[in-house]
Amino acid sequence: MSERPTPSPDAMIFLDGVSKRYPGQEKAAVSELSMEIKRGEFVVLVGPSGCGKTTTLRMINRLVEPTQGRIFIDGKDVTHADVDRLRRGIGYVIQQIGLLPHLTIADNIALVPKMLGVKKSERRQRAEELLEMVGLDPATYAGRYPRQLSGGQQQRVGVARALAADPPVMLMDEPFGAVDPIARKKLQMEFLRLQGRIHKTIVMVTHDIDEALRLGDRIAIFDPGSRLAQFDTPLAILSNPADDFVRDFVGSGAPVRRLSLLKVSDVIASSASDAPGTLNAIPVDAGETVHRALELVLTARAEGIEVCVPGGGSRYLDLQALLTAAAQPTKVLS
Amino acid sequence: MSLVAYMADNAGRLLFLTQQHIELVLISVAISAVVGIGLALLTQSSPRLRHGLLSLTGTLLTIPSFALFALMIPLLGLGVAPTIAALAVYGVFPILRNTVTGIEGVDPAIVEAARGLGMSAGRRMRTVVLPLAWPVILNGIRTATIMLVATAAIGAVVRGPGLGELIFRGLERIGGANALEEVLSGVIGVMLVALVLDLLFIVIAKITALRGLNV
Amino acid sequence: MSTVAIEEASVPGTRRSTIWVLPLVVLVLLGGVWAYVSSLTLDSIETRTLAPEVVLTALWQHVQLVITSTLLTIAIGVPLGVLLTRPGTRRAGAIVLAAANASQAVPSIGVLVVLAMVFGVGFWMAVVALVLYALLPVLRNTMVGIRQVDPALIDAGRGMGLSPREVLYTVELPLAVPVMLAGIRVALILNVGVATLAAFTNAGGLGSVISSGISLNRMPVLIVGSALTIALALTVDWLAGLAERVLHPRGI
Repeated sequence: MSERPTPSPDAMIFLDGVSKRYPGQEKAAVSELSMEIKRGEFVVLVGPSGCGKTTTLRMINRLVEPTQGRIFIDGKDVTHADVDRLRRGIGYVIQQIGLLPHLTIADNIALVPKMLGVKKSERRQRAEELLEMVGLDPATYAGRYPRQLSGGQQQRVGVARALAADPPVMLMDEPFGAVDPIARKKLQMEFLRLQGRIHKTIVMVTHDIDEALRLGDRIAIFDPGSRLAQFDTPLAILSNPADDFVRDFVGSGAPVRRLSLLKVSDVIASSASDAPGTLNAIPVDAGETVHRALELVLTARAEGIEVCVPGGGSRYLDLQALLTAAAQPTKVLS
Repeated sequence: MSLVAYMADNAGRLLFLTQQHIELVLISVAISAVVGIGLALLTQSSPRLRHGLLSLTGTLLTIPSFALFALMIPLLGLGVAPTIAALAVYGVFPILRNTVTGIEGVDPAIVEAARGLGMSAGRRMRTVVLPLAWPVILNGIRTATIMLVATAAIGAVVRGPGLGELIFRGLERIGGANALEEVLSGVIGVMLVALVLDLLFIVIAKITALRGLNV
Repeated sequence: MSTVAIEEASVPGTRRSTIWVLPLVVLVLLGGVWAYVSSLTLDSIETRTLAPEVVLTALWQHVQLVITSTLLTIAIGVPLGVLLTRPGTRRAGAIVLAAANASQAVPSIGVLVVLAMVFGVGFWMAVVALVLYALLPVLRNTMVGIRQVDPALIDAGRGMGLSPREVLYTVELPLAVPVMLAGIRVALILNVGVATLAAFTNAGGLGSVISSGISLNRMPVLIVGSALTIALALTVDWLAGLAERVLHPRGI
């Protein structure tokens, strides 16, 4: 009998051969899924409806009990741990937001701390801190009721509530799905900034590949047969789709989308020259995306870019070379 | 004597009272329907008056039936008239309420289309609004009917007709021979009447739906 | 009287603008009756049956019947309703609801008289009859109130780590309160009404004043009894409406 796998030390969430089979259904909703999600990583589960992504998410906090396999959180096997205690240590954000309409915003946020026995004054303070963190003025919003807030504001509160007990892990089920498209993009960007500060381990479900590419450190793409088709960084998925399904799912715009994921520093290594020649170049920071660099070039009606490299000196790249480099996945990733 | 034997022995009287009970309820509901639907139509242009009438008839429904039946005595004496009057009062609210809901639930686009065809207000009401609101109105009449079947039993306190007589007669003879059987046959009779009338309404709803509304 | 009809009827009275209409009507009604009785020369029978202590005793009995039976109705109906919404009781819940709905066709006087004949007369038997009759709206509204709670809220609660009991107390019950209160209000109104019939089973109440007015053929007695009954019913409905407003959770 072989040794069962155990999570590596830097894994926050580890799924070991997890399956979910609903009674009366022939096909398993999730079958034999193994995944390791690292501490502080933002992983997005994406796929068509019915692919098992939500079931997978809900198995992590055991709102869906797996029929088979083991779940580890922070190195501990929680497959049979006390569910309520497990869930209090995991933030949970859902599309319907699920704020309790009869409680004020502050009381909604303080719900889990209250269950954990935190003192009232501390709960209040924590709620105000969190409101601040998600960009809502506590003086204005703490005493309001959910229905007095817009959808976008409600979901900020939803995020604040999930963060209330300072859980290391957050699960988000289509968190921005019910918000209108303009507010959604704004929320996504704000959330990315927030994540940059708090470094939670986040697992998010979405059916929107653009959202996945925009937010995820790594993306897990499920195919309609509930198989994990590819689990990799957005750039790798755009550059080297594992199979036809992934290629289709990502859609036709992959080369263009890559431009906003590629950094200038990724491309200069392969194809830049050291001399400006006759090139009319504009200076660009190595940390900018290729998309941004192109924008700068086109706006300035320039012909190329000049990038300062560490250790002094500059490297130069004309427009054609920039595009060619960006379009060559293998070169970039090697 | 068993209940069944009692009922068999008194079949003639039971059937007579049952028939009276049904007639009593149907006449009262008919009056309630005329008043309820009439009030809904007359207050078409005055939502405030309509709301006031809904409040008023709704409040009348909270009046204990014994008190209302009793109050009919100084006005109408004993017998059939006070019973029907009291029952008709109770029946108005559900019918008025459903008529209002039904009329207000008609798609304004359809009414607008009828206007576009050049129909007058009265004609629109007759040929468009009321037929479309009919299922809701009918359901109001049904609610009123089932309610009145049970309430009518109390009409016996003003010497009203119907199955209530068995309950009150049995009560007067408490401890006497067959007193319980008499009361029970009254109660069961009332429930059966409610059941039969409920079924009747289902049939009416089916028939009228087939004729006018499944186009 | 039908639960459905009363439930629909009790909504309009709670509007802010009309909240003072009902007590005004009650005052006018009582004043009118008082003026009417004082304008009469009462004969000895009327004087005896309308003596203040007789009427007030009947009123107090009536109030006691209503309060006792309503409290018992709530004490039985709410926990039972909660129980019948827990997982695994779905079938039982459906059966109870169907039975409860069918019981609408049972005449209240029938319940009262049959119970009196089988188990005896008096205050407590009347209370049993009242509770049986008023249980339906409380039970049904508790179940409906809990079942209409958005499943997303329960999911959010469970996902946050609230135990099923905590979800019941912090999510389901508070959100079911408005619907439950509506049911309790209907139960109150039914109880005031059916309690007038308790006079027929020797449980006293204002019904006894009305029925002596009928049996003695004394219209002033009948009118006083009926008017007081109506005044009590309107007052109770008004108070219930106020309570409904005060207890309505903010934010919903």
